[in-house]
Amino acid sequence: MSVLECKGLTKRYGRVSALEDVALTIEPGRIVGLLGPNGSGKTTLIKLANGLLTPDEGYISICGAAPGRETHGLVSYLPERTAIPTWMSAKQLLDFYGDFYADFRRDVAEEMLARLNIQPRQIIKHMSKGTREKVQLIMVMSRAAKLYLLDEPIGGVDPATRDYILSTIIGSYNPEAAVVISTHLIADVEQVLDGVIFINQGRVMLQSTVDQIREDKGMSVDALFREVFRC
Amino acid sequence: MLRKLIKHEFIATGRIMLPMYLILLLSAVGANISARGLLDNKSAVLETLGVLLVTAFGFATTGVFILAFVLMIQRFYKNLLQDEGYLMLTLPVSVHQHIWAKLFVSAVWSIATVLMVTLASMVVAYDIGVLRELPDLLRMFFHGLRLLTPSEALNGTAVLIEMCVLCFLMLMDFCIQFYASLAVGHSFSSHKMAASVACFFAFMFAVMFLIPMLFMGLDKIGFFNFQWNPDPVVAVHLGMLFTIALALAYGAVFYGITTFFLKRRLNLE
Repeated sequence: MSVLECKGLTKRYGRVSALEDVALTIEPGRIVGLLGPNGSGKTTLIKLANGLLTPDEGYISICGAAPGRETHGLVSYLPERTAIPTWMSAKQLLDFYGDFYADFRRDVAEEMLARLNIQPRQIIKHMSKGTREKVQLIMVMSRAAKLYLLDEPIGGVDPATRDYILSTIIGSYNPEAAVVISTHLIADVEQVLDGVIFINQGRVMLQSTVDQIREDKGMSVDALFREVFRC
Repeated sequence: MLRKLIKHEFIATGRIMLPMYLILLLSAVGANISARGLLDNKSAVLETLGVLLVTAFGFATTGVFILAFVLMIQRFYKNLLQDEGYLMLTLPVSVHQHIWAKLFVSAVWSIATVLMVTLASMVVAYDIGVLRELPDLLRMFFHGLRLLTPSEALNGTAVLIEMCVLCFLMLMDFCIQFYASLAVGHSFSSHKMAASVACFFAFMFAVMFLIPMLFMGLDKIGFFNFQWNPDPVVAVHLGMLFTIALALAYGAVFYGITTFFLKRRLNLE
């Protein structure tokens, strides 16, 4: 069964169409790049998959169910902004995730926090912006979820942090799950991707595997992206 | 999951409310010391200190009420409609559970605040003489209770319970009306807070318009024209039950609005 499936998915903000008749499927065990320029509809699609938005037309399903309370337990979501309560200490945040997610692997999270020298009593508010983002990613990747939805995980961070984030994703995700990474920084993520979805102006332009692109087009995903989205 | 939400809500709010209660009690002790001797002191310094301590108690009392009110609004707004909403609204819990957790915790802090201010006022008024008079006061109270007939005792208790239920419901109604305004206001694409304030006043206007209309309508269909002459005690109970039903319906409308907008019209930035 597909982990994520949508058909005829349409979302409008007033008269502006954010997504138009989107159809795609994502299978388990794949790392898929949701690639598109700013404002192409990537975040809208991820919000719809999380039930943070309601579609105007069509449907979206996670492991066969409509987004809601049940699918929230299957999806591990990294929003594009810091959403963890910053007044909490690292330990309180671990307790929080442990309380709400049955699939939260506390030992994995503790090990990753220790590797970053983050003390359990350290308050999130007192951490640097980069460290906060790493802590949030650690929480998200420490779940043994069926689907990881990572919205711009490497946007606005330095190259060293980018490497850390990508290695954390690769090193800690549940291999039976699917990972969707939304970004416009193709060159940085290309090495970890199995498949790509090109999205522009709310429409899916291409869904393919990385190998197929290299075979058929004879170019990298980054090069193809530049060609498809040339201004 | 509701229990866990409530637990974390208490942790989030307790870190603010509990220190505030401590400040209130300390300021009450200060005001007590002031009332006992400092205010009548011949030393200008001590007298000024006494005035300052009493003023501090006044500020602490006002502050604790304001804080409980602001916290009620701020928790809903910040925790569900701002950045934290991305985490909270993707937890495996329902929107109903989120709203109930917020309502319950806000109501508990409101009641706790009233109790703490009462306690602080008793601390301010505390005098050794009060302790001496306490056994007499209790004796008079229990003597008064013994004079009641079983019917009076039963009805008195029932009215007291009805009053408590009504007060609790009105407290919930007060909270949910703010939550509904915030939920509707934040469904707008811009000027969300201004829209929330506008929604609050629009709701107030609608309530002030519709409730008299409802009563006029009920009167027109003869709802208040009783064919029987009820016993005054029964009339009190009926009146209380009608008010409770009205408070329930009032809360249910705003609960429905809040739920609908959080589920269907959510528009996080």
